[in-house]
Amino acid sequence: MAYHSFLLEPISCHAWNKDRTQIALCPNNHEVHIYRKDGAKWSKVHELKEHNGQVTGIDWAPESNRLVTCGTDRNAYVWTLKGSVWKPTLVILRINRAARCVKWSPKENKFAVGSGSRLISICYFEQENDWWVCKHIKKPIRSTVLSLDWHPNNVLLAAGSCDFKCRIFSAYIKEVEERPSPTPWGSKMPFGELMFESSSSCGWVHSICFSASGSRVAWVSHDSTLCLADAGKKMAVASLCTETLPLLAVTFITENSLVAAGHDCCPMLFTYEESQGSLSFGGKLDVPKQSSQRGLTARERFQNLDKKASSDTANASLDTLHKNSISQISVLTGGKDKCSQFCTTGMDGGMSIWDVKVRNPRGPLRLG
Amino acid sequence: DLPRTGEALRAFHTAIRSSPGSSRSQAVKEQAQGTMLKVLTSFKSSEIEQAVNSLDRNGVDLLMKYIYKGFEKPSENSSAILLQWHEKALAVGGLGSIIRVLTARKTV
Repeated sequence: MAYHSFLLEPISCHAWNKDRTQIALCPNNHEVHIYRKDGAKWSKVHELKEHNGQVTGIDWAPESNRLVTCGTDRNAYVWTLKGSVWKPTLVILRINRAARCVKWSPKENKFAVGSGSRLISICYFEQENDWWVCKHIKKPIRSTVLSLDWHPNNVLLAAGSCDFKCRIFSAYIKEVEERPSPTPWGSKMPFGELMFESSSSCGWVHSICFSASGSRVAWVSHDSTLCLADAGKKMAVASLCTETLPLLAVTFITENSLVAAGHDCCPMLFTYEESQGSLSFGGKLDVPKQSSQRGLTARERFQNLDKKASSDTANASLDTLHKNSISQISVLTGGKDKCSQFCTTGMDGGMSIWDVKVRNPRGPLRLG
Repeated sequence: DLPRTGEALRAFHTAIRSSPGSSRSQAVKEQAQGTMLKVLTSFKSSEIEQAVNSLDRNGVDLLMKYIYKGFEKPSENSSAILLQWHEKALAVGGLGSIIRVLTARKTV
């Protein structure tokens, strides 16, 4: 694994370009900075300044190479590279609260924005008027939409919200695409149709992810649970109450394995056992440094006893690579079905790249 | 009241099993809290760990909810024994079990 400290402040969000040579991130302000890999170093190559509020979401379309950003200023911008300059195009989202997350659809002809206005804006380009328009998905969302993920069919969209629910909607736009064929989530998909809704967990749904095939969706919520709905099992939901602090980000790395991370500052592996319909914890993926144990002097012992009511020698600093909560995970290579590398960014301003190794074809995954 | 280990453990499991769940009646909930507190305080310190280990994940989460409820309404010496229960429950349930006490929509 490799760790790079970009900032002394949180990285609000990040996105990678197609060949993973450039990363766009928001350095906890109104801007987006793009860094390019230069051997072992990272050099800042662009600063995108257009938003009037913190940038809360960035997505980089791999084929068309366009960026989409959204922010607390209630706006979204689509950025196109013209020569060596990124040019923004404003997209009117028609929301009256902050935008919180944005994702390009797989075919890159639409993008979805979740916001505090308790709705999702589905945006597409209208050729005749040469501008981006949007349609709203409102019912039955009751609170801020924190996370979004598209199904590979370019129509279904999973949304995690502060009303404790994970939902799958149809975001079918007849102006830009053909009628979708039936999926395990349902056959009729008019725009805004609710295909699936989870029963209440008790926490804000921070992150949501479709598996590569689209027949499973997993989400993490603030009550320290991880859940997975399997369309192949009539949308049965498996849930796991974890022993950890709440997880903030989750992704599939194979059809049966997930990596999630959050306030415990390290990625963790989870596996889904399809036959039993159950989720289990597969271990933390960070390698703690061996801290040298040295004895305490009598004076230090008394000081510890006085300050901390304990005389043990455990140090108070974190052993994990990230020194603060991890807020986002992205798959770098291999896709969500055969991920061999993923990336984490967090509130410590650092970015880490993790390698996934398969010990043997049928054995458990482990990390380096 | 509960002199032998076996009886304390049985009373403990009974209290866990018969927890009111989704009852909205404050009276029912308070009675269950009182019963649970009596059972928890009747344990000897050395028996707590075994009792906690005999629970499944949902049981540990439920126990943690009752422990915090007990902290809310302390009585003579109750907090001391509850802290011991807390230490053992935390070792099994992790911080996640405490998080779920804080986020639970239905309290015990």
